[in-house]
Amino acid sequence: MYSSFLKTAIRNVIRHKAFSFLNIAGLTFGLTACILIGLFVQDEMQFDKFIPEGSRIHRVYYQITTEEGTSQVATTPPMFATALQQEFPEVENTLRVLNNPNKELFEVGDTKLYEEGGILAEQNFFEIFPLQLTYGSAVAALEDPNSVVISQELARKYFGDKNPVGKKITISKSPFQVSGVFQNNPKFHLPITYIFPLVAAGIAEERMQSWDWYSFNNYVKLKQGADVEGLQAKFQRYTQPFLQGDETTTYLPLFQPLHDIHLYSADFRYDMAVRGNIIYVKALIVTALFILVIACFNFVNLATAKSLQRAKEVGVRKTIGANRSQLMVQFILETIFLTLISVVLATLFAWLFLPLLNQFTEKQIAFDLLADPMNVLLLLLLAVLVGVLAGFYPALVLSGFQPVKVLKGTFSGDSRPGKTPWLRHGLVVIQFSLSVLLIISAIVVRRQVTYLHSKELGFEKEQIMFFPMRGERMSSNVETFKNELLQSPFIEGVTVGYGFPGDMFGDGMMTVPGKGEQKKATQLMVDHDYIKTLGLELVAGRDFSREMKTDKDHGFIINETAVKELGLGTPEQALGETLLWPTWRNADSVKRGQVIGVVKDFHYKSLYERVEPAVLQIYPQAYWKVAVKIKAAGIEKALPYVKEVWEKFSPEYPLEYNFLDESFDKMYKAEDKLRSLLWIFSGVAIFVGCLGLFGLAAYAAERRTKEIGIRKVLGASSQNIVLLLSGDFVKLVLISILIASPVAWYFMQQWLQDFAYRINISWWIFVVAGLSAIAIALVTVSFHAIRAALRNPVRNLRTE
Amino acid sequence: MIKLNGIYKWYQSGINRNFVLKDINLNIEEGAFISLMGPSGSGKSTLLNIIGMLDEPSEGEYLFLDQSVFAMKERQRKELYKQYIGFVFQSYHLIDELTVYENIEAPLLYQGVKSSERRSMVADMLDRFSIVGKKDLFPNQLSGGQQQLVGIVRALIAKPKLILADEPTGNLNSAQGDEIMQLFQQLNREDGVTILQATHSEKNAAYGHRTIHLLDGQIQHQHVPL
Ligand SMILES: Nc1ncnc2c1ncn2[C@@H]1O[C@H](COP(=O)(O)OP(=O)(O)OP(=O)(O)O)[C@@H](O)[C@H]1O
Ligand SMILES: [Mg+2]
Repeated sequence: MYSSFLKTAIRNVIRHKAFSFLNIAGLTFGLTACILIGLFVQDEMQFDKFIPEGSRIHRVYYQITTEEGTSQVATTPPMFATALQQEFPEVENTLRVLNNPNKELFEVGDTKLYEEGGILAEQNFFEIFPLQLTYGSAVAALEDPNSVVISQELARKYFGDKNPVGKKITISKSPFQVSGVFQNNPKFHLPITYIFPLVAAGIAEERMQSWDWYSFNNYVKLKQGADVEGLQAKFQRYTQPFLQGDETTTYLPLFQPLHDIHLYSADFRYDMAVRGNIIYVKALIVTALFILVIACFNFVNLATAKSLQRAKEVGVRKTIGANRSQLMVQFILETIFLTLISVVLATLFAWLFLPLLNQFTEKQIAFDLLADPMNVLLLLLLAVLVGVLAGFYPALVLSGFQPVKVLKGTFSGDSRPGKTPWLRHGLVVIQFSLSVLLIISAIVVRRQVTYLHSKELGFEKEQIMFFPMRGERMSSNVETFKNELLQSPFIEGVTVGYGFPGDMFGDGMMTVPGKGEQKKATQLMVDHDYIKTLGLELVAGRDFSREMKTDKDHGFIINETAVKELGLGTPEQALGETLLWPTWRNADSVKRGQVIGVVKDFHYKSLYERVEPAVLQIYPQAYWKVAVKIKAAGIEKALPYVKEVWEKFSPEYPLEYNFLDESFDKMYKAEDKLRSLLWIFSGVAIFVGCLGLFGLAAYAAERRTKEIGIRKVLGASSQNIVLLLSGDFVKLVLISILIASPVAWYFMQQWLQDFAYRINISWWIFVVAGLSAIAIALVTVSFHAIRAALRNPVRNLRTE
Repeated sequence: MIKLNGIYKWYQSGINRNFVLKDINLNIEEGAFISLMGPSGSGKSTLLNIIGMLDEPSEGEYLFLDQSVFAMKERQRKELYKQYIGFVFQSYHLIDELTVYENIEAPLLYQGVKSSERRSMVADMLDRFSIVGKKDLFPNQLSGGQQQLVGIVRALIAKPKLILADEPTGNLNSAQGDEIMQLFQQLNREDGVTILQATHSEKNAAYGHRTIHLLDGQIQHQHVPL
């Protein structure tokens, strides 16, 4: 029997070419999108899953709660690990990792390159995270303070295919010896290329006992069966006395499962992990489901619309003995046959498009069907599932036809004049609602992303070249170095310090002695030219001046937020107020100074974050980075000059730099990608929806051929006819817009909450989305409407 | 074989009942060949459909081999139908997507006949009606008469005891019609198949043992040919 079903199915596919094409095309597009999204999502979920006993490993982070809300910070004090190890019996092991945000200069023979992705890790790193070691021993590789473990890529780059263990590398002028080579796993959350032993940093013993040096990734591995919640609660109680904040700020250590790090840390600060974003993953899954639903509905719509064509067959089959369930099975099998074709085609397309997706998402997703029979099974399951979902209702309708009725020849399916095909209309409304939802989301995301890239940040990020200082000569001759650079007519300004927009920042506790106010503030360590060079705006007081000798040791410039949060009244009132700051070098020596100026708030971090209180001060001990403001159109001339000056001061290091605006743009890479993906997949959704609409319009036109003929004979113009035929569909799209708009508004409002600075969702977005949906629907539908309208009416009537 | 007692069929239109069949009482013995005549709209098809269990009467009793058809369960009725009844239509109603062979084979599929058996049964029929050469053609590649032949062969394949034919020659010319009628006669005589046919042609009606005349849903008089 099944072979007969299959035969009929094949012949039906061939006989109803247009129908089959629309269905297969729609499903193929939809499924291709779904498979690609599925692969992406699967890959995202796979992070750190390769680590044995990973479910027992947690990262300890902390949550800061202030009046403004809560935020998470990935890095915690070194004492966390010590305390966990010593005081809590459920802990099996702990691991501390220190990020090295700097690029280091690697020198092997003549090869001289900057490398990023370095960390410092305790000796048991490979015990907790057993990355595969090509060479060297997992136990001993991180023992010797002069050793370094490098990735396979680095090994190949510097040493070719030979075993590099024992070979020397000069790293930023210090000698190291390769002690091992590890194979990096693209699904590991730490993006590392080399690992120093933590002992190499030579951190003083008492510093390692700090409770407020928030710099470490603290990992903890629990014993089998240990209760995480319980341990977390105990640890929170234990750390309470060490983590006092101030009246308005509390610090709370929390345990994050290793497997959650990749997807659930999107808004963590100071997080070095390779991070995805669960919201975006969910958005993509929802989009995939939308597309699949739209494709399935197409099928239901087209199949019920053309049920008339199969009604006779149903009648005949019933009179020769078929019962309803046999017919249902036949129709569902036919649908599964179509979905199978689509799945095969979609698999092929997914395979073709995967390299593009990989390139775009910077992933290395492999799609090897043969390697994983699970995938084949999954795809078959998908075909069956979609086939049953899409085929069930039409099968139910078709198999329910009464032979007496359909064989009489007067049967008209559900297309009786005057009767609205509610189901079909309902499905079209759902399809277009989903499409409009996607269009609106795509527009909102696009506008927010554009906003992120173009918002006035309160400083001039263009034309600013940025690089770290290197070498003894440069650091000890900062003024000369700056002056040399300023000799070029293409260079407008030079400033050195630590705390440049988009870079890293330190912080410190500021105290207003009279009022007892205490607040943590970002410390921008600057020179006399910082404000000028970055173009910050002073709202009160003055800039640092070389003439005022006290500025250097007793001058503070603060931002507006700091004025507010320290309770200093207006910017004018804040001038002259005394502030205390425990210096970085020695927390016991307090710097006392006066507020000499107030700068307008500027966004030195990403727009995810609200501007925090910031303090600018002259602090030559932290002159680590250089920003060079280049005159408009002077980049080509200025670059070689900067290089020339660099060579004079630091010939042993190559110059490597970036531009401030580039590093700012990079902060929104995830949003950029979301934007593009949303546009692509909304496009797919709309296209698939339109395929269905196209088919429906064809059937509507066909069904009404006679009516159109009569109307034309009675004098209706072609325009009238087109309006008549398109009007129905436009009405449906209008309803969809009404349904989709509030839903889209709600979800986009939710998404925008993540941004401290965001656009408003204005009414015109809905108008634009609505108009484009109508336009797309009209273009789709009018093809058939126009064709029907232009047909010769007499011939229409005759062929009826 | 068939007993109809007080069969009524009406369609409700507003508060009126439009009667299509009125008080039909009929007895059809096994082996009979009966023609059903009457003007258009008199209810011939309706009666055939009720006898063929495709339609239900509004009132009345229908006994098929002494079992009350509308008292039994749907499933039982289907079984009875599959086992005993073959339908032949005026417009053939072959399945366009299936070849001649497959059309003939289709009823056997639904009866769960094994494939080897199916093959030999279909081959026999193709042989018997000399349409072996046409077996791989699709319905639209056949003439009307050939299509009706296939329709009849399909109705016969499951060896029914009763053939219900609704204007089987309505779309055929008279020569083709005669052939079909002769075929019916032969089936009736040689295989003992009971035949009930609706027709507009006196000539075709004359092939039967007797003719039942329907007028406005009522049986007029029974006429036994000489
Ligand atoms: N669904 C229905 N609703 C209302 N009336 C119906 C319906 N189906 C059939 N009828 C009526 O039943 C009557 C009998 O129809 P039937 O098809 O049995 O006639 P017939 O004798 O076979 O005619 P013909 O020779 O033209 O085939 C007709 O008057 C028809 O209008
Ligand atoms: Mg009739």
